[in-house]
Amino acid sequence: MKRLLIAVLALALVLGMLPVAAQDTALEAPEGTLLGTWPYVLPPEHNFNSFVTTGGVNTNLNLALYRNIVQLPPALFMWATGEYVPLLAESWGFTEDNSAYEITLVEGATWSNGEPITADDVVNTYAFGRVMNWAHFAYISDVEKVDDRTVRFVFTTEPSLLAERLILKEPIVYTPSYGDLVDRALELIANENATAEDYAALQAELTSFRPDELIASGPYTYTMDDVGDAYMTLRWHPNSIFSDDVKFGEIRLWAGETEATTPLVLSGELGHSTNVYPASTIEAFQAQGIRMIALPRGYGAALLFNHGVEPLNIKEVRQAMAYAIEREENAFLTNGIGATATQYMAGILDEQVPLLMTEEGIAALNRYEYDLERAAELMEAAGFTRNDEGKWVDADGNTIRLEYTFPAEFADFAGAAQNAIDQLNRFGFDITARALPWQEAAEAIRQSDFELSVWSWGSASPFASRHFFAPTQRFNYTDLPEGQRGINFEMEFEWEGELINLDTMIDEVSNGLDAEEQRRRADKVAKIINELLPFIPLNVELSIEPLNEDLIAGAPPDGDPILQNPAGGGDHWMIWYILNGLVEPTDITRNYAG
Amino acid sequence: MSTVPAQSPTTPVPMAVIKPWHTRLRERLFGYAIRVILQGLITVWAVTTFTFFLIRLMPGNPVDIKIDQLMQQGIPYEIARNQAMGLFAFNPDEPLPVQYLAYLGNLLRFDLGNSITNPGVRVIDQIAAFLPWTLFSVGSGLLISFALGVTLGTAMAYWRGSVFDNVLTAIASILYGIPDYIIALLLLIVGGVQLRLFQIGELRGAVDPGIAPGLTLEYIGSVLKHALLPVSTYVLASVGGWILTMKSSTIATLGEDYIAVAKARGLPERRILTAYVARNAMLPLVTRLAISIGFVVGGSVIVEELFQYPGLGRSLLRAINSRDYTTMQGIFLVISISVVVSNMLADLMMGWLDPRIRLGKGHRD
Repeated sequence: MKRLLIAVLALALVLGMLPVAAQDTALEAPEGTLLGTWPYVLPPEHNFNSFVTTGGVNTNLNLALYRNIVQLPPALFMWATGEYVPLLAESWGFTEDNSAYEITLVEGATWSNGEPITADDVVNTYAFGRVMNWAHFAYISDVEKVDDRTVRFVFTTEPSLLAERLILKEPIVYTPSYGDLVDRALELIANENATAEDYAALQAELTSFRPDELIASGPYTYTMDDVGDAYMTLRWHPNSIFSDDVKFGEIRLWAGETEATTPLVLSGELGHSTNVYPASTIEAFQAQGIRMIALPRGYGAALLFNHGVEPLNIKEVRQAMAYAIEREENAFLTNGIGATATQYMAGILDEQVPLLMTEEGIAALNRYEYDLERAAELMEAAGFTRNDEGKWVDADGNTIRLEYTFPAEFADFAGAAQNAIDQLNRFGFDITARALPWQEAAEAIRQSDFELSVWSWGSASPFASRHFFAPTQRFNYTDLPEGQRGINFEMEFEWEGELINLDTMIDEVSNGLDAEEQRRRADKVAKIINELLPFIPLNVELSIEPLNEDLIAGAPPDGDPILQNPAGGGDHWMIWYILNGLVEPTDITRNYAG
Repeated sequence: MSTVPAQSPTTPVPMAVIKPWHTRLRERLFGYAIRVILQGLITVWAVTTFTFFLIRLMPGNPVDIKIDQLMQQGIPYEIARNQAMGLFAFNPDEPLPVQYLAYLGNLLRFDLGNSITNPGVRVIDQIAAFLPWTLFSVGSGLLISFALGVTLGTAMAYWRGSVFDNVLTAIASILYGIPDYIIALLLLIVGGVQLRLFQIGELRGAVDPGIAPGLTLEYIGSVLKHALLPVSTYVLASVGGWILTMKSSTIATLGEDYIAVAKARGLPERRILTAYVARNAMLPLVTRLAISIGFVVGGSVIVEELFQYPGLGRSLLRAINSRDYTTMQGIFLVISISVVVSNMLADLMMGWLDPRIRLGKGHRD
């Protein structure tokens, strides 16, 4: 009897332990190391504050990629389909009366310390966001808790798809790490008599605050001990909704910018990099058998005119320049295989044009195909003739002498500028190049202290208004501080018989929820930009990212729709692939000890 | 030629109080030191003031740079400016003289202030974290290359015209012409990528992660291992200069009369080479070494970036790119002080080595 009792007890003990053992197995960290890179900063600058942009979580984790696997945003945008896919939120959408937007968090989601992720965390995150003057509050007036998992964002004016993107892309932060600052932020927001000084005082406290730890909603987190000189390590933890899915036990981020990571790619110690490598380096990577993945980068190089300088204020001269530049050649000399010639000349990056414009709108665009004869006709129509040396001269015989400034440090922009100068000089202009430190080149544009220059155009955004913003608004008197004229392009003028304000038109192009109406508005703005050429969109750049398949397995094949997601903007394909366990270690990185 | 002034035979000669020679020497040395130190202090103040205004003349301030970055993301100017102003402890509208006086006031209290772009982080803490690594790596490189250069340069001059001299002169000339960052890249690409002599990742940084700092074999070994590439770079980049300078200085010394006298006296070759030739030939190199020590603090920005060595140069690069004025000022101040102090030391040392400098031209005792 005694033996039977012992046997029964032993059996009960074994059976009792089975679920525990099974659970332990499920909670074991996966094997393998993902070898990535990011130029994080070292302590004492390095800190866990998610609301500062220097030294904090944004700086150290790549806002566009790794931050999203540590601090989950509600959703990820798939550019090929135009749809959001869930991360921290399980549902989202506009309220029935379109006065607000609601998100509902995934049931059972927890922080890395085991505490549940609730609507309060979202409300608190946005309380800090309001203190820090986030752009979201141009669209939303209030952030309210509906229930434990649902939050409502009340619109200031009309509902907006732009606001939707801001809401769904914003990582939610564990705010108890910030002590009583959360309560004080909420009190401040509730206080109708709070002044700008009150906000500034709390802002100063928040930016100086240094949380002791980084509590994550994603499956990886790290402590200050994980931050080394050579690399930092993001470590897997079991409490995220994605912890069971991911295939890497840790992510090693090698420190350094392009020049420091190039040898690591070549030596086979770096699996994936988001750095921008020059064309010759890309060729060296390919020669080593390293796969290069091309992603939209979200901008291109543009030729900027100072419209206050003659003859750049003449539309025909700008159009002639557009015809006189062979953009294929310019793209190649901008960034090798990492740039393509602009096709549509719409002010919207080419890959987005079919999504953001109607077919009729696209058909109405002038593509400015390379045509020196047409360029010469336009110059003659503007009153210029060629002299004996083949240079364009005005009625008084003066040649068109211009200076083209460009940022010396940006190899792509420098290449674009120098090639454009070569081509335009061959056509008959007399343009000299001047390299400047990039800050000085940007300042010269803002101050209208330039004649020709180069800067970015377009945006890593699925909204036309964001594309039109740069550089037509960004570097123009409408969006610059008082006294700065930028490209000096007049935004109020007569167009097809009516007085229009291009600045307002761009601001409003992506307003509302009617995508078709947005496309029609985009058609009109694109046509104006295409005709008047406030700038020449020379090319569209690509992010050519090395991916060593000896170190990372499971990356999407070329042509996979997810590779239409741009490198910047927080929709990087790697976020989705890491979180869902689609990328995994290889034999080399499964037990990596390098 | 005598410079003793003529005296009237009718004028009684006052009885001068003749101080002992060591007292006179001490007084002169003390006066000389005071003069050098005062010059140093004035130089530091002048350089500090100059850099204060110079860095503010650079295009873009910290807020402008941040606004630019935010606008790059499609954020309109006003919103970007509001955000940027809240992020940094810096008011771009504050008049420069007010900023300057506040800075000087803080300096007098030995307070370098907080980082502008990283509120809450003291500049002195940043310098304390990064300066030792630069001192160690660049300083080691300097001393090793100096020792190598002096030894090889002397030997090359002594056996000038030999194969040894010709080969080393060619190598030194080539090395002298290659910038340090090219040497660093060559070490990485040739040694790490092509020959696979080492794993690049293992040698990056200053120390292996997870090793507690201390006087342990493990920690010291790790520090030395990680210093290998940057120190080798500094040695290779500077040894050529030392070799060529030492060689030419030695050749000049070999032609001096006292060397011929030493040989005529029948002194052994080794003694002539070490006690007579090398010692005198090194005089101009000592000054150069002292000045070089001053520049050690500045580190080498690109080399530290390539090896991810956590030195002051790497920190300075970040501060310049983000226009972190206070951090830049702090680092420039440390560099200025080190250059000035090393120059003072060079002056004092030369004064000690060569009395003509200490006492001034034409002065007689």
